[in-house]
Amino acid sequence: MEALDHRQRAERIERSIAKCGDADHEMKIEGAMLAGTHWVNFILHRMGVTKAELDVMHSYMLTVNELRKYSVADAEMMAAIAEIEDIRPAHVRGNVPGGAAAADRALELLGTLRAKAQKLLA
Amino acid sequence: MNIASHLDKIDRFEKLRARLDTMGDFELWFWAAMNAGTNAVNAALHHAGATLADDVFPTQPGVYLVPCKDGKLEPAFRPPGDVLHVGRPKIEGPLPDDVNAMMQAMEVIEHHRDPCIRGERDATPEIAAECAQALEKVLALLRQRMSTPGKAWKP
Repeated sequence: MEALDHRQRAERIERSIAKCGDADHEMKIEGAMLAGTHWVNFILHRMGVTKAELDVMHSYMLTVNELRKYSVADAEMMAAIAEIEDIRPAHVRGNVPGGAAAADRALELLGTLRAKAQKLLA
Repeated sequence: MNIASHLDKIDRFEKLRARLDTMGDFELWFWAAMNAGTNAVNAALHHAGATLADDVFPTQPGVYLVPCKDGKLEPAFRPPGDVLHVGRPKIEGPLPDDVNAMMQAMEVIEHHRDPCIRGERDATPEIAAECAQALEKVLALLRQRMSTPGKAWKP
């Protein structure tokens, strides 16, 4: 997918996340994962690290070599999307207490990814 | 995860989905529907005694986050509990017809996941209607199942 398409989709998902309420921590986390992944692909495409034909879907599905390569491009970015993914088992698939705080953290990490992408838009 | 928690999640996902704009918020609308359906299938599998209803949470097929005595979660291999998606992992053995029907309906939804959410295929009102109809079937079958006595898990 082209970088600008990733941007449009990320922004659209973020607008949908804004409609989530206090009881919707799972979908805030999932939205952060979906939008965050679009921002990661936007950044990697814009930096010329990956082409439009090669999109990251889940950080945990990358090969070790791919993860290393993308971390050279931006280690903080890859750590952010990986942390969002790591929140999911306990708080989206699971019922571990603290879902609201976990969602806040996921959205904070999404903000980090968005800020990185916006620097490339300037 | 225990059945009551699955039902609680379904209820909240459905309430959120009702507030979202089907086409304007398609990604999150779809994702809430898919998650509601997956929780319904997991609840039905537990109720049928086909999978464990323990409060352990899948990270990948066969691997679950398991609460330890100190309250932390540690990954460990476990017998089949919650599936991540229908077919991931495949639950072996004969399953009740209604649970098979739920999983077939979920395949309708899952079919649109990668193209419409990860890929470049634009969602259409027809796709949304197809997904909504499939989820309606899944949830109706779950309600029917929940009105009958459940079975204990047998390995």
